[in-house]
Amino acid sequence: MPLWLEMAVSVLLTYCVGFGIGWLLWNRKG
Amino acid sequence: MNPRRASIAAAGAALCLALSFAASRLYGPVFIAGLERKAVAARDAAGGQDIDLAFRDRYGWYTRHPILSGGRKLDAATRKRVASAVAEVPGIGGVSWARDSEGVPAVTTLHCQDDVQTILRTRTIRFSEASARIDPASERLLDEVAHALRPCVGSIIAVTGHTDGVGNSEANVALSKARAEAVRWALVGRGIPADGLRAAGVGARDPIPGLDPRDPANRRIEFSVITSAPVKPTPIDTPGPG
Repeated sequence: MPLWLEMAVSVLLTYCVGFGIGWLLWNRKG
Repeated sequence: MNPRRASIAAAGAALCLALSFAASRLYGPVFIAGLERKAVAARDAAGGQDIDLAFRDRYGWYTRHPILSGGRKLDAATRKRVASAVAEVPGIGGVSWARDSEGVPAVTTLHCQDDVQTILRTRTIRFSEASARIDPASERLLDEVAHALRPCVGSIIAVTGHTDGVGNSEANVALSKARAEAVRWALVGRGIPADGLRAAGVGARDPIPGLDPRDPANRRIEFSVITSAPVKPTPIDTPGPG
């Protein structure tokens, strides 16, 4: 696996996790 | 999610992709050089000086998964020990042996140059325009070239890149050199030892005789066997730490 692809996968995964947590916090009730 | 937010999210993802690509372009060579230094030290400590480590995949991209080749004279236990020593270096993702890197008898013939020229007479190794990226359609051809060059392993094989006469001559030399390097690494990935391969680019300096220098048919990669003398690393040539 090329280095750039490994990096892209890890950065995108981090982005998705951050996005998901942000989404949950933003939309929580109360 | 409304379209505006969706597009912001997509732009963020694209930014992440672009950033990681740029970072690996900028920092990748430094990172891989450090990794290579440690891997070479580990290899030498395990007694596998004859084994080549290629830190580029068959497409020329840097990778943390080195391809091992050469070291045919070593016994299986040593090869295994070297492979696991290299694989244990922190940062290395794993190792693999180049295809056909074992069990090939060392035949000394120079027919391989003719064989390669025959293969390349009707077909050419293609690249993306103005780039050193080998066209995926040429992978089969490279397999054949590597197979034809195998009898010449132990000789110095020169890989020379040529361009046509269109465009800036310095850029052409750089491009032809980059293309020759790409072919060299593709061959290393196919089990041809790196120490016997020399890549050079001459730009448009050496057009095909009888052809207009601006003719696109001048864009080509040539192979020539420089010497049949077996390559023995001298103390100066032997790769080592630092």
